[in-house]
Amino acid sequence: MKVINYILGIVLISYLVLLGYLYLGIGQKDTYPAKPISIVIHSKPGSAIDFMARKVAEIARKHSDAAFVVENRSGTQGLVAMQHVLDMKADGYTLLGVTKSFLSTVMVNKSKVSLNDFLFIANMVSDPEALISNNERGFKSLDDIIRDSQREEKQIWIGPGTGSRDHIMALKTWETLGVDANWIDYKSGPQSILAMLRDESAVYVGNPADTKGKSNLDIISIASEKRLSSLPNVPTFMEQGYDLNESMWRGFAFKKGVPEKAVVYITDVLQKVVNDKEWEEYCNETYVFSNFEKQDEFTNRIAQETEETIFYLNKAGLLVTYVKESPIHLLLVLIIILSIIFLLILSVNKFKIGNITYDQLLAAGIFGFSGFFFYQTLLFDIPETANITSPTLIPRIWIITLAILSIILFFRSKASTSKKENHSPKIVLIIILFLFAYLISMQWVGYFFTTPIFILATMYLLKYRKVPIMGIVAFGFVLFSYLIFNKLLNIDLPMGWWFV
Amino acid sequence: MGILNNLWLGFQEFGHFLPIMMMLIGVIIGIMVGVLPGLSPSIGVALMLPVTFGLDPISALVLLVSVYLASNYGGSITAIAINTPGTPGAVATTFDGYELTKQGKPLHALITSLTASTIGGLVGTIILILFSVPLASLALSFESYEYFALGVFGLTIISSLAGKSPIKGFISSGIGLLLITVGFDTQLPFSRFNMDIPNLADGIEFIPALIGLFALGEIFFSIEKGDSVQEKKATKVNLTEALPLKELLKLKWLMLKSSVIGTLVGCIPGAGGTIATFIAYDSAKNSSKNPEKFGKGSLEGVAAPEAANNGSVGGALVPLLTLGIPGSASTAVLIGALMIHKLNPGPELFDKEPGLVYGIFVSLFFANIFMFFVGLLGNKVWIKIIAAPKSVLYPVILALSFIGSYFIQNSVFDVGVCIAFGILGWILKRGNFPTAPVVLGLILGKMIEENLRLSLIKGEWIEFFTRPGSLIIIILAVVSFFMPYIKKKLVRK
Repeated sequence: MKVINYILGIVLISYLVLLGYLYLGIGQKDTYPAKPISIVIHSKPGSAIDFMARKVAEIARKHSDAAFVVENRSGTQGLVAMQHVLDMKADGYTLLGVTKSFLSTVMVNKSKVSLNDFLFIANMVSDPEALISNNERGFKSLDDIIRDSQREEKQIWIGPGTGSRDHIMALKTWETLGVDANWIDYKSGPQSILAMLRDESAVYVGNPADTKGKSNLDIISIASEKRLSSLPNVPTFMEQGYDLNESMWRGFAFKKGVPEKAVVYITDVLQKVVNDKEWEEYCNETYVFSNFEKQDEFTNRIAQETEETIFYLNKAGLLVTYVKESPIHLLLVLIIILSIIFLLILSVNKFKIGNITYDQLLAAGIFGFSGFFFYQTLLFDIPETANITSPTLIPRIWIITLAILSIILFFRSKASTSKKENHSPKIVLIIILFLFAYLISMQWVGYFFTTPIFILATMYLLKYRKVPIMGIVAFGFVLFSYLIFNKLLNIDLPMGWWFV
Repeated sequence: MGILNNLWLGFQEFGHFLPIMMMLIGVIIGIMVGVLPGLSPSIGVALMLPVTFGLDPISALVLLVSVYLASNYGGSITAIAINTPGTPGAVATTFDGYELTKQGKPLHALITSLTASTIGGLVGTIILILFSVPLASLALSFESYEYFALGVFGLTIISSLAGKSPIKGFISSGIGLLLITVGFDTQLPFSRFNMDIPNLADGIEFIPALIGLFALGEIFFSIEKGDSVQEKKATKVNLTEALPLKELLKLKWLMLKSSVIGTLVGCIPGAGGTIATFIAYDSAKNSSKNPEKFGKGSLEGVAAPEAANNGSVGGALVPLLTLGIPGSASTAVLIGALMIHKLNPGPELFDKEPGLVYGIFVSLFFANIFMFFVGLLGNKVWIKIIAAPKSVLYPVILALSFIGSYFIQNSVFDVGVCIAFGILGWILKRGNFPTAPVVLGLILGKMIEENLRLSLIKGEWIEFFTRPGSLIIIILAVVSFFMPYIKKKLVRK
């Protein structure tokens, strides 16, 4: 026996041991929690809710045997995270970090995901909305802001998002203070704060923690019932005679249908977290109120606030459809466009398919896709809001540029002779097929079974025939990826729907 | 004197067992993160975040900063070895790095990239220590007008990436620019061009697209050409090829210049290292004595982007530490880490915790040097991997790309995106279209649109030309755009 066969033997045995280790434990859990509980967060690491979730996970370690793991799934203002939790089993091992911004998210995006699909088990904190300005402006109170707003030029208020909580807070404030100002969406918190450091706008609507470490930003007022003990000098709206309360809350939810014992268990752990001294420190540190509310209270709050959110979003004209329904299905449109263009280039080439060069084909394809995008911009239905640059402007610039360039390419390539290369793309097409098959089967059967098969099949297709090496590479790769991803980086590779 | 004092403070803070260990571990993990496609520096830093909970502040930050630094270098390894940028910042390194590998000189490219990365990192750190305050005002002076101008400047680089057929280069970039408009509008809460596919509502995830275009596109293309099947022997690699020391010395000014470019662009919040690498590549080509060698295996073409990429690390820490603003996805995680350790990023940090801030600076220094030696050792391994037969290597790269795209968001759809862009890359390559401009379009499209529209809301068109900052950048853009053509004309005469 050659050494290589021994190596193959070792790799194979390790692979089988790994499979046994991974799959034999499944299905034997009676007690809750039997495995780590993941907290799904809709934003990137370092954000306020991510920070809170990590803090909870850390403190919970003291009060529970369960391990909590924070999982970031950002995208579409939280819809990605919500959808993910709904895709998982309601077995009590997937918690969703929820914030008040989700109320607008589901409405503005008209998504299929509904907040009714979730069980809101506990609210944790209340983070008051705050009006912040650069101290160059010299604003000391809300009245200063009102006075400033009476000058000829309209005040500019900024913050992240259109239809976001900060935007709604701005709308509410204008109503309460009788101010007429413009909202400019600076996309992200950091970009807004940068603009504030440059003193670009009168007011930034954010949260008190945004001013941390930035001595030239002043908090004019916070919209909570009482002052923050960590910011004793910052007055509330109430104290200045304006009745306005608006806070961001952050808490946790399960998918509906989780076992009652999971709800009880987690509520209990969270209650203990809130009572911990470290939690108090965290709240002071990040300028938020600890505001523990159990399921009933939390759910009531959400129902109430949902109505209010609808009211303000409507008022701002944001609950409208921005894209008209296409009279014919979009896919059909694409096919029609592409076929017309294909017929055109065929006619240019005297109806001989063999005459069409690769460049011509590509040029035509690109022209067709530009046309398809252009058709979609025609469906945009943007309300006449003064304060906006058209969403069609930039796409149309790219579309027209691409269309012109592809026409130039088309007529240039006619002159050049097509150089035919004699390899066939057959193997590539088979590999692409393999890739899709791998993708689909991985979800069902799991990463650990499908990966070696994919690697072996592809090597075979590429005419590699040294069996021991094939085995070592295919199974060794699985072992390697398990060590790196599962063990070192704590990322769980998919186990497959059939088994889990 | 103040600085020396502070550095001494920092040295005392850093010079303990735990922080040094964390630096060593961080560098090794960072290189690995960089090498694996899909694991970008920001994901690497985020993955290490939980580990830092139990550490003291200095060790925690040293670990994260070392991962950040080393992952920026690690990305170049796969870019050179298998045409797969391990991180977005390594895209520009593929242009010449992979060419060198195809010519059987991967070691030249690897050593050049390692040296350039180290020098870039060191220069970035020095600039950070000496000039963080003036640089902070540079970062602060960038308004939407300047960001828009910078985006346009970035686009003009296509003229030097396009190769033989400028028109094909422009079309490639147009494809990237148009595809990135898919997803949320930059001002109204609605999603454009998503064709009612929920996964497209937020647009195309960048990293799977990148992996697809480069790794898959290249594999499909070369399989079709029959590379893997006909010659079972892989790229011939000369294992004993001499270290190109003399060549490296020739690159010293270029590396220095590129490092400075990297640091400057890196310190502009939201611009980031990737744009810096393209600008450095372009500027190297424009100032080179042998611009015709670019894209065909020029060592300058490897050195410039790599120096800029690692220079940007020092730059990215400027707004973080001086303004408390995260300039990139990675530094956003660092802000989280600071807050977890009850530290407020911002100007106060320098006054309150000079030992900590300078401790980080000192650790960056040592991390760079350590990274160099780990890199040298690592090169021996990479060379062996490159020498493996393609019919073994390709299936493994495919599997790696697959998992790399999957776990960014644990999304099957993203793997589909990766495969789709692989097919796009293949289609383009067959027609001699360069794929790099597609990536450039994807990177710059959002920045251009977002800031153009913001600027037009705030003011008028004319302001792009009346503001000194944006005017300078626009002039640079025009010069950079026409430079390759002007040079060609001059050479002909």
